[in-house]
Amino acid sequence: MSKSNKMFADKAFELVKELQRSSQTIPPFDDDGVRQVLEEIKAIFEENCAQAANYSTSGDRTLWPLLNFRHAALQRNKRCLLSYLHQRLQRIKALRWEFGSIIPADIKTNLCEPEVTFFNKYSKSLASYMRSIGDGQGIDLTGDLRPPKSLYIEVRCVEDFGKFELEDGEVIYLKKNSQHYLPRSQVETLVRQGILQHIV
Amino acid sequence: MSEEDYTTKITREDACLNRTADDDEDDDEGEEITAQKVLEFLETAWTNEMCAPDILQHQSDMLELMMGQLAHMEENMKDLDKNDFRFVVHQMELERIRYVMASYLRCRLQKIETYTKHLLNEESTRSAEEKRLSPEETKFAQEYYENMEECFQQIALQYMPNTQRSEADQRIVRPNLMSHVFVKANVSVPAVVVGVDDEEVDLAAGSQHIIPYQLIADLIQKHQVQLI
Repeated sequence: MSKSNKMFADKAFELVKELQRSSQTIPPFDDDGVRQVLEEIKAIFEENCAQAANYSTSGDRTLWPLLNFRHAALQRNKRCLLSYLHQRLQRIKALRWEFGSIIPADIKTNLCEPEVTFFNKYSKSLASYMRSIGDGQGIDLTGDLRPPKSLYIEVRCVEDFGKFELEDGEVIYLKKNSQHYLPRSQVETLVRQGILQHIV
Repeated sequence: MSEEDYTTKITREDACLNRTADDDEDDDEGEEITAQKVLEFLETAWTNEMCAPDILQHQSDMLELMMGQLAHMEENMKDLDKNDFRFVVHQMELERIRYVMASYLRCRLQKIETYTKHLLNEESTRSAEEKRLSPEETKFAQEYYENMEECFQQIALQYMPNTQRSEADQRIVRPNLMSHVFVKANVSVPAVVVGVDDEEVDLAAGSQHIIPYQLIADLIQKHQVQLI
């Protein structure tokens, strides 16, 4: 770490800040950044190890503050890195609530391998939890997100969807730009997926 | 706050709507507890859960009852004409109850996801009848915790020096139990200890207070006060 104007853990902090600033659903996983932080951690650790060995042989107490400082830097690096990952997981979780159990392809490219695994597992345990509520009756918690104001809502079709069957067996044809007056509870998912648009 | 406003409104409306619902279905309420009672209970549980920083006792039994009731009402309504005013009112009522239940469970899930490890640790010290989480929630919490740890492990922790790996205990997130909440006393509660100097306050029935959560946590459990 010889770069003069660079401090320990700068890169890690940068990761956290970048993520906070981005307004995208989820920005691409910063593979490079994470690797740099991990390398820094390793470098600091090795330096510390060497000096700790030096300290125990020579008993030179002047090394003590330096050791402590490096340890703190190491902790900070780790903390920033993990909060970066954690924050991303929070956003990934939000994806599950928004889009259902399949991640849209354009978003998926922004995730790294373990994150995709996390999503799938999260999705699975959420689904099995929702199924098990009320002794196996199950509630879809991803529905009913807002307090209901009216039974029916006016929706406009944004894209061609095709046939859609209502609970009472009535089949309607959702064509682009057509407008319908439908039961809110049944079309909520379509609205969230962006196929229908709620006209207020 | 807007959700809160809605809460009070819905409770009042529901109370009168439900009375009509009960009249229609008088014959199927042989049990002591009426559908309306269950609903009121759930609504209190819902508001409490929304306002409390910590997770409260799960209400699986009540939820189950209510869900059964919902299914039953839906069955009854099949015979009604779609354009009948009663149908519209009842349907709306069902939607509202469904929202309350979903919102309640979502709120709990959110707490579980935030305080996962803390809650799991707490649960392991509680006896079977004091468990705050339902078995399903516990299962979810465990899976969630494992998944998250695994993700951390694979991306970062496994590349760190050995001594840094096993410090999961440092990452436990705990709720702030001393955060202030608004409470309303259901019955008069004498001599509640507030503050550090054992100062005591009597809560009169129906009175409202702002108080740190931890001091009245046990009163919520006993239904002597409710959060608002």
